[in-house]
Amino acid sequence: MNKMFSSRFLAPRAALATAFFMLLGASAAWALEPNEYRQFLGLDSRKLVWFLAQVKLFFGSFVLGVPLFAVIIEYVGWKTGDAKYDKLSYEFTSLLSVAYATTAALGGLFAFALFGLYPTFMSYMNGIFYDVMFFYALLFFAETFTLYLYYYGWGWLSGREPLGKNALWVLRALGIVMLVVTVVFLFGGFGPKMRGDTRMFMALLYMLPVAGGLFIIRDRKSAHIFIGILLNVAGVAIMQAANSWAGFMMSPAGVDKEGVLTGTVWQAFENILATPIAIHRMLGNLAFGGLIAGAYAAVKFIGSKTDEERAHYDWMGYVSNVVAIAALIPLPFAGYYLGREVYSTSAVMGNNMMGGDFSWTFIIQAILVGSLFLISNYYLWTGMTRIPGAQRYYGYIKYILIALVLSFAVWLTPHNLPLSGAEVGQMGGSQYHPTLKFLGLMPAKNAVVNLIILATFFSFLLYRRGNKVDAVSIRAQGMTAKIVIALAGLAAVYLTGQYAVSLLTMKPADLDLSADRAPYFHVVGYLLLAHCAASVVAVVLALKDRGKFAQYMMLAVTAFNVTLFLGPYGFVVMEKASPFLRNVAVSQFMQLIACLILVSAIDVFLFRGAKEIGRLQWGKIPMRSQYALLLLAFIITMNMGLMGFIRSGLRGDWHIFGLMRDTSPWSFTPSNFTMTQMVGLSVLVFMVSISFMFWLGGLAAKGKQAHDGKDTEKPLADSAREVKNV
Amino acid sequence: MFKAIGKVFGFLLLVLGIFLSIGHAVTSLTGGEKAAAGAVEISPEGGESVYWGKGRCFTCHSMGDRGSAVRGPNHGAFGDKFPLPMGARAVERAKERSAKTGQTYTATDYLVESLAAPGAHIVEGYKNEMAVVYAPPISLNLKEVKAVIAYLQSQGGDVNLDALEKNPSEISNKFFAKIAAAGAAGGGDPGAGEQVFASNCANCHTVKKGEGGGIGPGLAGIAAKGVKFVEDSILRPSKSITPGFETWSVTEKDGRKTVGLKTGESGTEVVITKATGDKVPIAKAEIKEMEQDKDSSVMPDNLNEAMTVKDLQDVLAYMMTLKAE
Repeated sequence: MNKMFSSRFLAPRAALATAFFMLLGASAAWALEPNEYRQFLGLDSRKLVWFLAQVKLFFGSFVLGVPLFAVIIEYVGWKTGDAKYDKLSYEFTSLLSVAYATTAALGGLFAFALFGLYPTFMSYMNGIFYDVMFFYALLFFAETFTLYLYYYGWGWLSGREPLGKNALWVLRALGIVMLVVTVVFLFGGFGPKMRGDTRMFMALLYMLPVAGGLFIIRDRKSAHIFIGILLNVAGVAIMQAANSWAGFMMSPAGVDKEGVLTGTVWQAFENILATPIAIHRMLGNLAFGGLIAGAYAAVKFIGSKTDEERAHYDWMGYVSNVVAIAALIPLPFAGYYLGREVYSTSAVMGNNMMGGDFSWTFIIQAILVGSLFLISNYYLWTGMTRIPGAQRYYGYIKYILIALVLSFAVWLTPHNLPLSGAEVGQMGGSQYHPTLKFLGLMPAKNAVVNLIILATFFSFLLYRRGNKVDAVSIRAQGMTAKIVIALAGLAAVYLTGQYAVSLLTMKPADLDLSADRAPYFHVVGYLLLAHCAASVVAVVLALKDRGKFAQYMMLAVTAFNVTLFLGPYGFVVMEKASPFLRNVAVSQFMQLIACLILVSAIDVFLFRGAKEIGRLQWGKIPMRSQYALLLLAFIITMNMGLMGFIRSGLRGDWHIFGLMRDTSPWSFTPSNFTMTQMVGLSVLVFMVSISFMFWLGGLAAKGKQAHDGKDTEKPLADSAREVKNV
Repeated sequence: MFKAIGKVFGFLLLVLGIFLSIGHAVTSLTGGEKAAAGAVEISPEGGESVYWGKGRCFTCHSMGDRGSAVRGPNHGAFGDKFPLPMGARAVERAKERSAKTGQTYTATDYLVESLAAPGAHIVEGYKNEMAVVYAPPISLNLKEVKAVIAYLQSQGGDVNLDALEKNPSEISNKFFAKIAAAGAAGGGDPGAGEQVFASNCANCHTVKKGEGGGIGPGLAGIAAKGVKFVEDSILRPSKSITPGFETWSVTEKDGRKTVGLKTGESGTEVVITKATGDKVPIAKAEIKEMEQDKDSSVMPDNLNEAMTVKDLQDVLAYMMTLKAE
């Protein structure tokens, strides 16, 4: 192996191993022992750990997020035989390789800081999670070695010659076995007792991808993709292990009130919040990885000297942004689920989150999240300027913008306003504005977040059809189109239908409500049934070549149901049957997802092979679009820091909620200004560091090219000529 | 490329500057660090620091125009819904409570009950969802609870420190004992603990004096044994077995083995009650071997798997309310 190999991977592993032996050397201590705290150079230990944890998490998220979509892009390249996807995937992975070493080194530093500054707390955590920590360290080896193979084996495993028949039979057989094991596991056939979300998380993110990977192997290239899948499995497992500790600190399980482990390590590992945090982080990592890669492309675009370079990096930025939007769309719902589980864990923690110390932090978060969607839309709209024929759809943009701005305004309206005594007097003695106060409540927020997502999705639809002359006949496309659209319709009907049935049969007593509250459930149940009916009609219309109308109808029905109807109706529910409000939110989510699935499926076939007005002119996009990409990366990084502050701060003056008090001098909730200072510093350090690493990576690539005496990567010009609408 | 990077970092600094200014503006509007309160005296001032600090009352309640929470009733005079501040309102609420229960409630009693058993008399239009303030994570001690009551009384009512400290009424005393018991158990909600007990323990144990004689010993007056003993008995039941509740293992001549309590014996048979509650009469003539296992309890040793940390804290708090009558 070469020098770069050892410097990138071996040194950080040594740091990790040292940290790990520190873990093993720690003695067991229990939660009620007096806490010992230390300082390094007189610095505020909490802020030091906060900073290190945050920067480490930024790197970790990037390292875990990038392989998720690098493998998908490589798969697309393999299936379509289009080399530009393979090259893009390799370029993404090369970013990963330079960031990996720093991530591991930061992990070691973070572990040292924790053990040094919070010895009692860490000793206790080690006492509980000894087994998991051991497993965690081993997973790093799994991730490192799969990354070795994936990155350095790119050329070696690029062949398309089919494997032998016997090998294929063995792989298929293994795939079938793995698939059966996955299904049996998913339905609770084996494994320890666990929550449904954990079981699904493990089945869908560990077992199913491995089963699918075994099925696709037929040549060296697909074997390489399988290694990429294994890399992701190891990465997700690392994340899940670390999340279990964060979850345990918020919702301890498997221990008695003195912190002694009375259950099993699995119970402590699979605490209430572990999986909801993991789901949220998983999507967050994907969006974050996409946007950081997009920022890389933007910087390269800004510094490009030739049209070829601009075309390539424009396309790279676009793909990154699509990946990020795909993850951003379900992210608010994952956040809602996590918030709901926080409430379930502790009403005190939940109330503190939405109505206590962090209520205004959530307003800042609303500004950031709203900006992410708004700027993503802006990027798509500016991207339409490079699509011949997209001018036909410019008229829609102002309406989308109005919907987004109004929704954004509602999204960030606080329930109460911090007013002076005189201002309170002018409002009739109330701190709550007579109208605006309603916009600060959950029904209004739920209504507009759904509209924001629908509007973003609509922008994407317009972008996709920008240069298409007209829709093509679905009837003429053979069975595949019909089957896929019908299956998408079935999925949509299932999503909304099963929830309609559960609402129509739900007993009010289940929610501590009197029997006369049942009609409030039924209204939402019937609305869901109406959405089912709309899905069926949309499928029929699409199969009769009225696909565009079917799409618009689905979007209109969904917008009406989730925003115009359930928005105001949420206030009625809040007044009359408040505990049912969370079910209203779930029904909105189900309809939205059903709509996205069905409309996307129709769209794929509606414009498949459609005549084009002209080819996309990659690289011919206003420079401001690249600043939009950069802004997206900055905002999501700040938002991740802010969310980390909330999640960690919710514990208040507890290291482990309800179990081990934080008795340090830093046991207080910092102000929002302190939060912005700490997060701002972390973001700055992360951006400077990762830019430096990307630059170093670029130097290494240039050096390699010079050493090889040829351009080992495909010329950018080829790529630029090949790229087309994706 | 360096020029491009320069532009990008200039842009980043601009964005971070805006972010900092938002944080600064929000902090100017809403206040700075939220530190936990230190030790307090039983006084309105002490209660105020708990109310707006450690007690986290402000996350659900407002005090007139101070605060912004709406989940719980406003404790100040506020609009048509709350014309009276809490101190004066407590007098009216106490009258309602007296009429409903037939007992004589003072304003202090009403406030004490509101904190000790918040579900007892819920303000119309609000849910029974108030956290138990003397259980984790809030974990107010009795002194802090009394301080909060003094603070609430100071809102348009009479601060009655005598009724809080020296001469509490019978009603208040009962709740104070409950809070003190919960505190002694390390915090926990005795009300929730009673439900946990009903789900997990009541099949074998009873809590009324004179009852018992089931599979497990009666638990009336168990608080006298102390929280450590009770906790050990729940988590490690074999560690200390109450005399008369030892496990017997009976092996019959045909090889069948029955393990449980010996709950009956006559000249011809013994009765073994298994952990499930099933009584198994066994003829003495059929017994090959019968031995007492002093180191093992019939009580399941995996209750920790059925209970969360909070369940255990709650049930311990409940056990500590079971004092000898």
